Amino acid sequence: MIRFENIDLAYQGNNVFSDFSLEIAQGEKVVLLGKSGLGKSSLFSLILGFVQPQNGKVFFNENRVDERIVWNVRQKVAFIDQEISIGDYSVSEWLTFVSGIKANHSLSFGGKRLKELMDFFELSRDILNKDISDLSGGEKQRVAIIVSVLLERDVFLLDEVTSALDENLKKKTAEFFVERKDWTVVSISHDPVWLKNPWVKVFDLEKKTWK
Amino acid sequence: MEIIDISLYSLLLAILLLAVPVFLSRIYGLGLTKLLLSSAGRMIVQLVLIGVFLKYLFLWNNTVINLSWLIVMILAAVFSAIRGSAMKPGKIILPVFVSFALATFTVIFYLNIFVIRLDYIFDARYLIVLGGMLLGNSLRGNIVGIDLFYKSIRKETKKYQYLLSLGADYHEAVKPYMRESIRLALKPTIASMATIGIVALPGMMTGVILGGASPEVAIKYQIMIMISIVVSTIISVLLTILMTSGVCFTKYGVLRNDIFLKNKTE
Repeated sequence: MIRFENIDLAYQGNNVFSDFSLEIAQGEKVVLLGKSGLGKSSLFSLILGFVQPQNGKVFFNENRVDERIVWNVRQKVAFIDQEISIGDYSVSEWLTFVSGIKANHSLSFGGKRLKELMDFFELSRDILNKDISDLSGGEKQRVAIIVSVLLERDVFLLDEVTSALDENLKKKTAEFFVERKDWTVVSISHDPVWLKNPWVKVFDLEKKTWK
Repeated sequence: MEIIDISLYSLLLAILLLAVPVFLSRIYGLGLTKLLLSSAGRMIVQLVLIGVFLKYLFLWNNTVINLSWLIVMILAAVFSAIRGSAMKPGKIILPVFVSFALATFTVIFYLNIFVIRLDYIFDARYLIVLGGMLLGNSLRGNIVGIDLFYKSIRKETKKYQYLLSLGADYHEAVKPYMRESIRLALKPTIASMATIGIVALPGMMTGVILGGASPEVAIKYQIMIMISIVVSTIISVLLTILMTSGVCFTKYGVLRNDIFLKNKTE
């Protein structure tokens, strides 16, 4: 599904990867583990085409991620960033904006599915009218998770999405993503709810090996 | 009614008024004397030169020369717009020039052909003077617009990338930024339109009235020029953003970092 082949990546002279390779198969649930600065988030940026490697190739679905394919990849992947910065939108305005993007026109962002997800992630209805910037960290994370699910994509790149949730919600969220057999999930986290889950494979970025 | 000429001797009396700010600067220690005098000196030299130049420009009234001078004026505006922004000149100068030129020419020829109905549409008196007013007044808006657009995308890289990851194409991802920067670029012009005549008697009107025309004519010209400024500002900001995007974004839709002057590492 996702394959990094002999990647060299450096930012402003800082070497992040040299000759790095990794393959993630469809349906796998993978946690990327390692200290900050090891390039966990850079792997997501490489898949999404926000940075390009100096050498090596990134493949998505056996297609090399290049300036053409990348636009397609961005329509197949649901990405949640570590810090969710959206700006001056209320939650419902944001949902309207996301569903207004041409690539998402066929999706339904309102109605039953939204209500189910809000119940599941324990968000009350009145949050829809609140400004996103006024939400707590945990609420923002849950809104971003709900948006990612509404996008109906089957590859998830999750950067610390459970960090601000309470214990019960952390567990629920990790299980929510792991349970779906058809989803490919890559999660950056050092939280036991992900690491201890029996279905999750852990890749140690420090040693560059599977655990 | 012919305008009263100011003799050289009288002009010296006007310049002598400078003694007031110089005197006050001394007394209150404003430290403005040097700056004031050098700026006044520059102004006098520049105006004398342009005065001589315009005299011949109006005398010859030659299509090629008139158009060339308008292009020189556009170039000067382009340089000062780019200098006012945080962008590297080399990369964006051509697209900015094309945008300014298209906006200015479109509006001026519309005015000259349909509004003023000139027989000779390249007439220096109209081409150069109107061009100068349009460029001078839309410049600040342009700088605000271009600068804000690129700076805010850079500042909000995370948000911008999130938009791309949601499946937005390039146009959809930059739209919120485009909207905001055009809005801010136009705001001052739109605001000044509402106060004109009460708070300020604009230079255009003063000139036309002193030139011997009736206030009615002056008002008509002023209405025309204010609307033209808004129009040329919005056209040029929009075109500049559209035309610079090719050099400022990669094919992956990501903003290049090397377009900014100070390559701050973030």
